Amino acid sequence: MAKSLLLICRRSPWSGPGAREALDVALAGGAFDLPISLLFLDDGVFQLQPGQQPAAVQQKDLTANLQALPLFGVEALYVARADLERRGLSAEHLSLPVTPVEDAALAALLNQHDLVITL
Amino acid sequence: MATLHLLSRSPFADTSGASCLRLLGPGDGLLLSGDAVHALQSGSQPFDALRALPADRPCFALAEDLAARGLAVPDFVQAVDYAGFVELTLRFERTNSWL
Repeated sequence: MAKSLLLICRRSPWSGPGAREALDVALAGGAFDLPISLLFLDDGVFQLQPGQQPAAVQQKDLTANLQALPLFGVEALYVARADLERRGLSAEHLSLPVTPVEDAALAALLNQHDLVITL
Repeated sequence: MATLHLLSRSPFADTSGASCLRLLGPGDGLLLSGDAVHALQSGSQPFDALRALPADRPCFALAEDLAARGLAVPDFVQAVDYAGFVELTLRFERTNSWL
């Protein structure tokens, strides 16, 4: 039985390579049928903002990679609700269906996984 | 069921410490290294937040990083050397590095 992994994404989409690299880890793991979950935390929640236009800063579309997650078997997607609300985002209006998690439930989410990586 | 969280960034320049505290559950531990030990500057807001942690969430710090910065070891913190660092990673079920 492969070890389960929780990947915590804290980087905003256009601040550097961090967000894309975290997604690459998730997609690569998913391609190998590893049990991977994603938690969007801190500025990582900006990855879920709809209507992004990456071409304006000469970048590739990260949202397309996000949409590929379920196709690669990465379906356990979580977002810290407090970080959404602090940034004026709503869980109902995101580019991907994700499960909002309250702060009080975050520790339990970590405990459900064998490994945790924060990027 | 417990996680050891590894923090290395200054709490005054980075939100990793504050976010880590939101993820900290019963039995979880915190290990401060590098500039993260500036959180142990008495009188600071991060210091008060760490001091207020319940006893079931132990706080550790690398002794040499404290010494290098002229910081004392508060009574709620256990200073460790690198061998102690390794021992801690074995004692906890998983580790989580905040980069």
